Amino acid sequence: MKFAYYPGCSARSTCAELNEATHRVAARLGLDLISIESATCTGARELRAIDPIGFFTLNLRILALAEREGLPLMTICNTCTLNLLDAHAAFLEEPGLGETVNARLSAEGLRYSGRTRISHFLWVLYEDIGLDRLRELVVKPLNGLSVAAFYGCHITRPPQRYGFVDSRNNIALERLAELLGCQPIDYSGRTECCGFHTAAHDERVAFKLTGQHIKSAKSAGAQTMVTPCPLCHTVLDGFQREIEKDMGEKLDMPVLHLPQLVGLALGLTPGELRIDRHIVDTSSIQSWRHIA
Amino acid sequence: MSHSVAAAAAQQGGARTLGQVERHDTLAARNARLADGDQLTVRVRRFDEGRGPELEHFQVPYRKWMRVLDALNWIAENSATDLAYRWFCGSKMCGTCAVRMNGREVLACWEAVEPDMTVEPLRNLPVIRDLVVDRGPFERKVASLEPWIERTSPYPGFPEPLSHRQMKHSSQALDCIGCMACYSACPVIGLGALTDFAGPAPLVQLAQTALDPRNNSEKVARALAATGIFHCVSCYKCEEVCPAHIPIVSGAIEPLKARAAVLVPAMARHSQILRRIVAARGRVDPGALVLGVQGLSALRNFPRMWRMLMRGKINPLRTLLGLRTAAARPARRLLAGRGPTS
Repeated sequence: MKFAYYPGCSARSTCAELNEATHRVAARLGLDLISIESATCTGARELRAIDPIGFFTLNLRILALAEREGLPLMTICNTCTLNLLDAHAAFLEEPGLGETVNARLSAEGLRYSGRTRISHFLWVLYEDIGLDRLRELVVKPLNGLSVAAFYGCHITRPPQRYGFVDSRNNIALERLAELLGCQPIDYSGRTECCGFHTAAHDERVAFKLTGQHIKSAKSAGAQTMVTPCPLCHTVLDGFQREIEKDMGEKLDMPVLHLPQLVGLALGLTPGELRIDRHIVDTSSIQSWRHIA
Repeated sequence: MSHSVAAAAAQQGGARTLGQVERHDTLAARNARLADGDQLTVRVRRFDEGRGPELEHFQVPYRKWMRVLDALNWIAENSATDLAYRWFCGSKMCGTCAVRMNGREVLACWEAVEPDMTVEPLRNLPVIRDLVVDRGPFERKVASLEPWIERTSPYPGFPEPLSHRQMKHSSQALDCIGCMACYSACPVIGLGALTDFAGPAPLVQLAQTALDPRNNSEKVARALAATGIFHCVSCYKCEEVCPAHIPIVSGAIEPLKARAAVLVPAMARHSQILRRIVAARGRVDPGALVLGVQGLSALRNFPRMWRMLMRGKINPLRTLLGLRTAAARPARRLLAGRGPTS
C-alpha cells in the first residue's frame, strides 16, 4: 500500500521522534510512504485566518503533489489534516477558487483536480490496513496497560466535517487501544482542547486547559496518555513541567504518539520508536512487563 | 465493546465516525431506545439563594418524541412546582431554553431526552435560580462592541450593490438566536479573567455588522481591539453545540481575525510572524516563531529550551542560520510579495 506522506512541520522539528516512529511502524504494516519533499506548511491556524487565498494555495498545492503521484495522502497531524480537508472541500464547493489556485500552481506545472484522498494515520489503520490484519500483526499485546486517549480537536470537530453530534462519542482511539491489548480509560479530557494554538503568544491558556486534562487522566488511573496529534503532544509532554509548576503538583504522565503505541504492540523496541526522546520520563512504559 | 462492531465500522470506512452509531449520536436513535411509559431518571441541578447547588432526582414517565423541555415541564407540573427554567417559543427560535444535558449544551426544546440524564444550567454565566442564568455579562460585552452599522458613504438607493460573497459571513452570523450554548461550551471563557477573550457569542454578534462591507472601518477596528480574538484556541466546541449550525470558527471568528490583521495589525502580530517564517523557509521553525513572537523574553523559558535541546527537539543552528527547506522556494513564490489579505 503506497501513500504520499505528509508529516507536517511539527514532526520534522519538535516531534521528530514521531516522524521516525511513523516510518518504523509503516514498514511493519507494509505501508510504502513516499516523501513529498517540496510540500510546505499547511499554514497552521494563523495563515488560514489572515490569508485565506495563501492558505488554500499551499494546501491545494500539497494535494496536487500527491495527485501527480497518483497516491492518497497520509498525515500524522490533526491540524494539518483538517486544513487539507477544509481546503479540499472549499475547492469542490466554492465557485472560482479552483481556477484561481490552479492559475498560481501552473507556474510549476501543477494542477489540482480534486482527486486526492486525505487520510490520517489513525484512519489508515482502520480503512486501509483493517483491524483484522492489524490484530494479526500484534505480536506483543500491551496487556493491561491503562491508556488515556487524547484525541485533540481537529480530528473530531467541527461537526460539519466529521459528523459527530457529540464529539465525545468518538471511540476510534479506545477501540484501537483495546485491540492492542490496552485498557482504555474514560476521563473528562478525552476530546477537549490542549490550547496549543494560542501558545506562541500566551502559554497560560494551554497550561490551564491541559493541566486539567492530564490531572483527570491521572485520577482515572491512566499509566500513559496517547495522542494522534504532535501539537497536542507538544503541550501534553513538552509543557508538562511548566504545567506542573503552574498547578503546584507533580503529574509525571508519560505521553505517547499514536504510532509509538501501535509500534510497541507490533514488537518494535522503545528505542526504535524513539520513546526516549520525550520530555516526561517514559521508563515506566519501557519497563512495562510485556514490552521489556 | 465487541470487535465485530469495530470491524463493521472499518468496512464502511467508519474510522472517522466510529462511535456515532454505537453511542446513539442522533436524536432519532435516542428516541428509538425508549418506549411510552418508560421511567426516565432526571437529575436537575437546583440552586437558590441560601440553597444548593445540589442535584435533585426525579422520575419522569417517557412519552413518544419527548424533549428535555417536556421533561422539565412534567417535573414543574407534577414534582417541583418551584423549578425555575426559561423557555418561550418551544421551536428553536427564541434562544432562551439552552441548558446542559449530560455535560453538553443543548436547546431544551430541540433535544431528545436520554433514559438517564443530568440537566444543569449553562456554564460561564452567573446562575440566578435553578436553570436560569444571568445573561448580563454577554449583553454588556455585546453593547460595548457597538454592534450596529455606521455608513461612511451615502445610501445609494435600493437595491444596494452588494454581492452574496460580500455578505456571506455577516448574513450567516445573523442566524444566531443568542442562546449562549457556545458561550457555555467555550474553554477559554471557562478560564474566566485569565484572558480578555470576548467569547464566541459576542463575536458572532459582532460579525453580523463588522463583516458588513458598508460599516465604518474605524468603528470596527475599535470593536475588534476590545475582543481579545486571538485568544480563540480554534477548538470548535462552539460550532459543535450551535443549534443554528453557524460555522462560528471558520465563518465568524476567522473572518474577524482577517479584518483585525488589516485594521489592527498589532493584534495579529503572531500570525504575521508565522506567515513570514513559512514564506521564507517553507515550514514553521518553532524556535524562530517563539523568538519572533516573544523576543528576548523567550529566554525566560530557558529550562524548557534546554530540555528540548537535550532531546533533539529543537535545533538552534537551523533557527539562527535560517536554513531553508525544499519547500522554501514554492512557499516564497506563493506567499511573498502579496499583502496578507490580498
